[in-house]
Amino acid sequence: MTSIGTGYDLSNSVFSPDGRNFQVEYAQKAVENGPTTIGLRCKDGVILACEKLITSKLLVPGSNKRISTVDRHIGIATSGLIPDGKHFINRARDEAISWRRNFKDSVPIASLADRMGSYAQAYTLYSSVRPFGVTAIVAGADNDGPGLYMIEPSGLYWGYFGAATGKGRQAAKSEIEKLNLSELTLLQGIKEAARIIYVAHDDNKDKEFEIEMTWVTKDAKTANAAVTGSRGMIWNGWVHEEVPKELLEEAAREAKKAVEEEDEEDDDAKGEEKMDEDL
Amino acid sequence: MVNRTGNLTEDGIHVDMEHLKKGEVNLGTSIMAIQFADGVILGADSRTTTGAYIANRVTDKLTQITDSIWCCRSGSAADTQAVADIVRYHLNLFEIQNGHPPSVATAASIFQEICYTNKDALTAGIIVAGVDRHKGGQVYNIPLGGSLHQSKYTISGSGSSYIYGFCDSYWKDDMNLEEGMKFVKEALKEAIKWDGSSGGVIRMVVLKKGKKPERHLFLPDEDYVDPPKKQAE
Amino acid sequence: MNQFPHGWGRPRDDVYGAYDSSYLNSTEPVSHTQRPIVTGTSVLGVKFNGGVIIAADNIASYGSLARYDNVERLLQVGTHTVVGAGGDISDMQYLHLLLDNLLIKEQYPADDHALLAPQVHTYISRVLYQRRNKFDPLWNSILTAGADPKTSEPFLSYVDLRGTTYTAPALATGYGAHLAVPILRRHVPDEEACASLSQEDAEKLVEECMKVLWYRDARSGVKYSWAVVTKDGVTTGNNKIENQSWKFAEMIKGYGAQNV
Repeated sequence: MTSIGTGYDLSNSVFSPDGRNFQVEYAQKAVENGPTTIGLRCKDGVILACEKLITSKLLVPGSNKRISTVDRHIGIATSGLIPDGKHFINRARDEAISWRRNFKDSVPIASLADRMGSYAQAYTLYSSVRPFGVTAIVAGADNDGPGLYMIEPSGLYWGYFGAATGKGRQAAKSEIEKLNLSELTLLQGIKEAARIIYVAHDDNKDKEFEIEMTWVTKDAKTANAAVTGSRGMIWNGWVHEEVPKELLEEAAREAKKAVEEEDEEDDDAKGEEKMDEDL
Repeated sequence: MVNRTGNLTEDGIHVDMEHLKKGEVNLGTSIMAIQFADGVILGADSRTTTGAYIANRVTDKLTQITDSIWCCRSGSAADTQAVADIVRYHLNLFEIQNGHPPSVATAASIFQEICYTNKDALTAGIIVAGVDRHKGGQVYNIPLGGSLHQSKYTISGSGSSYIYGFCDSYWKDDMNLEEGMKFVKEALKEAIKWDGSSGGVIRMVVLKKGKKPERHLFLPDEDYVDPPKKQAE
Repeated sequence: MNQFPHGWGRPRDDVYGAYDSSYLNSTEPVSHTQRPIVTGTSVLGVKFNGGVIIAADNIASYGSLARYDNVERLLQVGTHTVVGAGGDISDMQYLHLLLDNLLIKEQYPADDHALLAPQVHTYISRVLYQRRNKFDPLWNSILTAGADPKTSEPFLSYVDLRGTTYTAPALATGYGAHLAVPILRRHVPDEEACASLSQEDAEKLVEECMKVLWYRDARSGVKYSWAVVTKDGVTTGNNKIENQSWKFAEMIKGYGAQNV
């Protein structure tokens, strides 16, 4: 960032001499400090998980959601500036509704990701606006099966097997890479997701946090009846909903245990090192 | 009060909209589409009339919308051509924007949207039939008010009134191509026979998954006999 | 290019007079749909102890032609509501689209709050009344049936293309209002009677009314859908009218004096 203060970072519509748009890069900085958010595309659905630091004891547990339902079959998690995320979600909802009106069908995930990618990109072009300070992870499922996309402030988006953004993304990514996502089921996936959130949390151990987790599933047993469409309604059979409370609590418990055990091993190792030093 | 029909007094020019409407070319028609084992078959007669005069005796009422989605048109020729052109535009755009061809359901729903929102202005009865990669062959009907109905086969147009009994009696699920074409041909033969507004040749289009559309033509002076004459599309 | 008719090379003004384009700028009101085209007939509904039952046949008519015999006219809206529509089928399908979008938007806050029948009924009645004020009505008469998931309190109401609404222990639209309501009222004259009507008896009552409509409504069908809403949610099914009575036809000979 040697060019900071040279004047080329003040507007969207001006490139720096070496071809960079600093406003976009600053927006990405906003996300880098956001909460760790991951998406896992499993065999039978998609999982979204988010680490939510508890900023105040006065907050009701589970409040201030960062993962939103966009259509029956789509959820989006955002990391970064909360108001930007809300605006982004609203736009995605409008896109989904508009697709329904035009085509009497649920919007395919790739099409929604494409529309939203274009929308984010449009905010990098004009001096009158600033880019979105969020990275969005889009999870859903359609005729082609589960789909997972991540949209960055630049408007860049790719489809992923597993995606991570926010503060703990590096640790999360290296954990996700170890998974065999094309064989992983949702039930296995939520445990991995919880564990990854705990692992990625490592660096700021002192703060309390809770896990927000949703999935996109076709399992009629867990599907929230109020969410699903009945016969005659536009619905492809997939539901984006919160992971059932008991399952999430169990996954979080196991994840916490696993991470603590690992920490103890580390501590033991460190303890030995320390003794060496003392000698 | 203003004269809406535009009739003028004495030496003015007469522009009688009501009269113009009556003179419109209508596809007083027999059209149908069926699902069969490998896809769909669309069929139509070829008569277009203005009143009792046959304006076109070799009309093509089977209209391509995308590679694998076609429609049969009945009602006002002008209205249905305009609607088909608009839907074709939308679906071409859809394929470019989304990287895959639209489903038959999507095509049918765009037809419906136009027919429903403009119901006061349109006289259009349209059958949409085609094949797509997920659901295979499908048939949809959009009658006058702009409702949408999916079914295994559907018949429409003035001549269809005469063949409800025939179709209901002889319909079988999952017919092979030969049986399917026979069903369509025999039904349209009856419709042409009894309906004064239907006549001429029988046209058919066969759509199979992953294959090019196949046209067939049957002539009245040959008593619509087999074997069908294949034409390159 | 001049696209107006007087620029088309019309006959000379000095011979025929100036072109009168007044018809292009009509001051008459715009007119919209004045009739339904593909139509469904009656919908019936009865409240009983702990719930409500609603039924409608599966015919969509095109004039007197029974054009479709597989049309679903009952729509489940959320967990504890069923909406049944008679009248124009295209308008019904449009209304279904509105209700679908309403449900999705209701889901956005993720606050576990769900729409129940009274809210759905009010929503539909506002839509229908707004459209009638545009002189472009949605050509339907609609029953909304539901039950409260906590109290079991049944809900049943009517709204039509003019936005007229009312509620009663038993309701019917279309021909049903003439043929079924008198029968229904004999069994459930008031709310107290509903409170002592069992679900089983309510089902029988609806079966009986659907049979009368099958006998006497020329636009009805022999197959119908029903839905029961209780505090536990919605149960749906399809029925065919049974135990019909036709045998007495052999007693009927001639139309007066003739008896052979």
